[in-house]
Amino acid sequence: MKKKILIAFGLIALSVIGYVAYLWFMPHRDIQATKADAEITASVLVDEFLTDAAAANAKYLDAEGESKVLIISGEVTKIDTDQLGQKVLLLKNSPSDKLGVSCTFTAETNSQVSGVKIGDQIKIKGVIRSGAEYDEDLDLIINAVVEKSSVVN
Amino acid sequence: MKKLFFALFTSVSFISVAQEKLSTTTGHIKFFSSTAAENIEANNYKVVSAITPEGGKIVFSVPMQSFEFEKSLMQKHFNSDKFLDTKQFPTAKFKGSIQNIEQLNLSKNGSYDAVVLGDLTLHGITKPIKQTLKLKVENGKITGYSNFDIALADYNIVLPSGKPTEHVAKTVNVTVDLNFNSTLTASK
Repeated sequence: MKKKILIAFGLIALSVIGYVAYLWFMPHRDIQATKADAEITASVLVDEFLTDAAAANAKYLDAEGESKVLIISGEVTKIDTDQLGQKVLLLKNSPSDKLGVSCTFTAETNSQVSGVKIGDQIKIKGVIRSGAEYDEDLDLIINAVVEKSSVVN
Repeated sequence: MKKLFFALFTSVSFISVAQEKLSTTTGHIKFFSSTAAENIEANNYKVVSAITPEGGKIVFSVPMQSFEFEKSLMQKHFNSDKFLDTKQFPTAKFKGSIQNIEQLNLSKNGSYDAVVLGDLTLHGITKPIKQTLKLKVENGKITGYSNFDIALADYNIVLPSGKPTEHVAKTVNVTVDLNFNSTLTASK
């Protein structure tokens, strides 16, 4: 009887430790390994946010930050590098569009865009962080932010 | 709980060429929370900021879901409706002006303390803040650095009592680190 109790306790202790370890070491979402939720052009995505930001936020953002993974197509209108050395491409369907989708790559996927030039048509997959907005008050152009990007062929 | 120190060190170098606007879409903001239980740090490298030298207007837009934590679980808690509710409030904004803009000679190499006064909107709450932004001008490059504290309760960021409160301090330290481009080179 005593042995059974000890075994039971042992199992419970292991489960608790296992669960805590799972929480503690929970891996970050692997965007490249995640199937895209939708495929969309840069201008359509921008328009959704400009038309009804609240509805677009509800549709694309997740309460815990695990927001929609999107495949976005457009023309490269700007190429930048952020403070981490990650490549950032600004996608629009036409260079004359006011707002676009800013796509940040990662150390692992940077090489996929090393040869990219302004004017190239491209399709990228990434996770959306925030929508596009023109803040009149601030006179500020805010492009949609997509991160963890990779090129889709 | 220890108090968090915000020390935003902002070094901003201005290139003062006529009334050129200075902007960046790759600004960095770090926040740091220190308690007896643990230290928490998050970094955001997608900060949008712009300064209009004429008049000294300065603005920021921060996509909240771009804050990244080492621990995935922490990142989820941060975004949740129990904390920053980033689905409801995906962007934090700041709108203000540099009070002493006329004393700053941004065409000359040097380090300048810009006094920034304005409104910060975080978690849907707007509060006035006044902080120093250190602008550094170095051979045509302008960088900005600032460090300050934010009291979470000021923005209705209240934690349920229990484990989270031991792990997150009541004030967090924020560091802002910006590399500005002049609009002559920035393309839309």
